[in-house]
Amino acid sequence: MKRLLGVALGVLTAIGGFVDIGDLVTNAVVGSRFGMSLVWVVVVGVVGICLFANMSGRVAAASGRATFEVIRERLGPRAGLANLSASFLINLMTVTAEIGGVALALQLASSVHYLLWIPVAALAVWLVIWRVKFSIMENVTGLLGLTLIVFAVALFLLKPDWGSLAGQALAPAVPAEETAPTYWYYAIALFGAAMTPYEVFFFSSGAVEEGWKVKDLVQSRINVLVGFPLGGLLSVAIAGCAAVVLLPAGIAVTSLSQVILPVAEGAGKLGLAFVLVGVMAATFGAALETTLSSGYTLAQFFGWSWGKFRSPAQAARFHLAMIICLLVGLAVLATGVDPVLVTEYSVVFSAIALPLTYLPILIVANDPQYMGEHVNGRPVNVMAMIYLVIILVASLAAIPLMIVTGAGS
Amino acid sequence: MILGDLLGVHVYDDGGTRLGRVADARFVVDGPPRQLLADARLLGLVVSPHSASSFLGYERTGLDQPWPLPRMLRWRHRGSFLVLWEDIAMIGTKSVRLRAGFTAYSPALDGAGQE
Amino acid sequence: MKTDRPLAPVPPTAGRTLDAQLHLMDRQVLDHDGVPVTTVDDLELNGPELDTNIPPGAPAPVLTALLTGPVLGTRIFGGRPPSTRLIRIPWEDVADVGIVIRLGVSGENLDAGWVERWIRDKIIARIPGGRHDPR
Repeated sequence: MKRLLGVALGVLTAIGGFVDIGDLVTNAVVGSRFGMSLVWVVVVGVVGICLFANMSGRVAAASGRATFEVIRERLGPRAGLANLSASFLINLMTVTAEIGGVALALQLASSVHYLLWIPVAALAVWLVIWRVKFSIMENVTGLLGLTLIVFAVALFLLKPDWGSLAGQALAPAVPAEETAPTYWYYAIALFGAAMTPYEVFFFSSGAVEEGWKVKDLVQSRINVLVGFPLGGLLSVAIAGCAAVVLLPAGIAVTSLSQVILPVAEGAGKLGLAFVLVGVMAATFGAALETTLSSGYTLAQFFGWSWGKFRSPAQAARFHLAMIICLLVGLAVLATGVDPVLVTEYSVVFSAIALPLTYLPILIVANDPQYMGEHVNGRPVNVMAMIYLVIILVASLAAIPLMIVTGAGS
Repeated sequence: MILGDLLGVHVYDDGGTRLGRVADARFVVDGPPRQLLADARLLGLVVSPHSASSFLGYERTGLDQPWPLPRMLRWRHRGSFLVLWEDIAMIGTKSVRLRAGFTAYSPALDGAGQE
Repeated sequence: MKTDRPLAPVPPTAGRTLDAQLHLMDRQVLDHDGVPVTTVDDLELNGPELDTNIPPGAPAPVLTALLTGPVLGTRIFGGRPPSTRLIRIPWEDVADVGIVIRLGVSGENLDAGWVERWIRDKIIARIPGGRHDPR
């Protein structure tokens, strides 16, 4: 049971990466437009994040250093600052979107307008960060977020033509009504969501929060191998539901209510209740993950005291930074901007942040000063170098594709 | 003097030939003992002929993973050498001048690169 | 300088070798309780005098302090803060250099901690629960 609860960090981290509000909608958009033809990207992304999250967890367990300390130390202040700026903007945009996402989920459940829920959502996020123990936070949100499994259940209950779904997934092709650049734009968006840098910031910092040592390396690996594939599975299930229900009906996904429509159709009222809880927990979890990541990255770059294992007064700048982030998010949402659209442009900043995050992790994971005997094995290094090339190509292609396709529209 | 001001500065021999730039400064903790650590005295400067700064320091360590990164960076920093404090004639804001007949030592660090 | 033959190894020294960029700069500094204080933004030496000839046999300069504060900005963007605005952690306070730099003193009394203390005392500790220990 302890082992089972011990995977909460991995699950919560993956939820923030794969099924935060932006990704919930993106996954459904992908399913409704491209069927299952982009599932391979999710698989590639899951393998990549497993590889690097495991490395960041191993570095944290072996040396006690979280990822952004390593980034500053290896890349120096200039490249470190470039990464900090890009990563911080991604975090800030995602925090903003998630608070809006929690509010949207509350609106679906209560019919009270989401703008009224926004201050409530932001206050709740702050209270959890201010007061709740890290382990309770990750267990509750991780566990509740798991109710999103209802997407997979609904997919079964919808009794789809499995042969045709598998065919789309295994022999991917660009659908006739879509263009190749749009297809590749969404491929990069899905890959970027799977490998979004705040996952490793949160995972490695969480490992430090939980005080992982070398003896916890197995725990770290289990977290990675359970959490991220589960995140990928949820992502594919959402796309699958959309492919079965929305694609044939010609419904274009623009809002959260359309994302959960297939669940209502497949799994009825009970399913709907589950999915609402799941969406709320997932967006709330992602809000916690990205707010904390904002604090972690800033504190680790500048060397401030940080961590929820300390009282707020013992990590004053860390807590003040997160309060400011939440206030900025609130201010942005108060303008009435669509929360779902806020994360859309984070792919641009990912192009800068991804290579500058994963390269230093790989370098330090090979450094015996940090790792002792737990340096990377050769197969891991070969895989990691291949992924760095993929990351670099995706990063370079992201911005031109975004301009050409008008952000996938 | 602030060390950051010294890094990247051009290095010349006594005849005015440019040798490279200051990539790093090496210290030895062997000065008069204090309450905690002994004083760290400047042993010398690492000079790199082809690059403005040292990146990741693979030219000084024996690390060869993750392939091919160390190999590529070692090539970029090829010809790096260490010059001892005794062989430095002048340190300035824009340039460093070495004494006539200075010795270029290998910049390699022993072991895993820490000591 | 073109050499194909391998260079001679550095003459052996009695103490431990530290390369500034590799082992000191940008490393996390912890106080004697393991609380993060800052990162090493730069280093200060007690010499030599710039742009003047160094007489043969002059004693080598030593590290006097780890620097932090505005010097980070000038290291990234260029320029140089006035010497009075440098925040110093004297080398005498350094207890150990590893993958982190450990001080032998409490961070509570260091100049490097004043912003943290100010934000703690003026803002964070005044919010209810600010001193609540989560463990």
